[in-house]
Amino acid sequence: MRRILIIDDEDDIREVAALSLEATAGWEILAAHSGLEGIRAAAQERPDAILMDVMMPGMDGPTTFRQMQQNPDIARIPVLLLTAKVQGVDQRRFADLGVAGVLFKPFDPMTLAQEISHALGWKD
Amino acid sequence: MSEAADKTAALLANLWVKIQPIVEERLAILDRASSAASAGSLSLELRKEAQSNAHKLAGALGMYGFDEGTLVARELERLLDTEAPEPVRFSELVRELRASVTPKA
Repeated sequence: MRRILIIDDEDDIREVAALSLEATAGWEILAAHSGLEGIRAAAQERPDAILMDVMMPGMDGPTTFRQMQQNPDIARIPVLLLTAKVQGVDQRRFADLGVAGVLFKPFDPMTLAQEISHALGWKD
Repeated sequence: MSEAADKTAALLANLWVKIQPIVEERLAILDRASSAASAGSLSLELRKEAQSNAHKLAGALGMYGFDEGTLVARELERLLDTEAPEPVRFSELVRELRASVTPKA
């Protein structure tokens, strides 16, 4: 079973993503509400992938990603950024960070698991 | 619809009810900012707070099927990026946003 860590400061986004991925794909969901908590959870739980919000108070998604890259224990876990920004310049900036992909809010809860699988090249 | 999709839809409907106080709180901040803009007293702090709330609504409403709400919230977010948002347009958009998430009688 896939294990996904969701890092987002907004409770309802975490909750919708979690119930969507659990109900439609049967994945196990781990959750963190800040970048710092997410780094700790990633090191402890070693999920198969991380879905992380861009705009978070304190440490934002890109900063959290860069810190993860400094930690060899978690640097290879694929990270998908989740953003409500729709401008192309933002999309390119995020992609240039070296993340595995960028997904957009609002996502469709019915197809979120497919979008993640597609972005990560998962066949199952 | 598959069983998993049915289950997800039901869970989403329940969650939408649960987050109503959060949505209302965000709309109230936009109302307050719109009133301040009309009175010519919109502070930078309140404008940024309102923009942040519009951003959050833009990212969330579509998940519950309120696609129009997401579009209006995005427009509000862009409007609030300007130093002096046009008060009439601001007020119209907040009204549209509220209507987009209010069940039709």
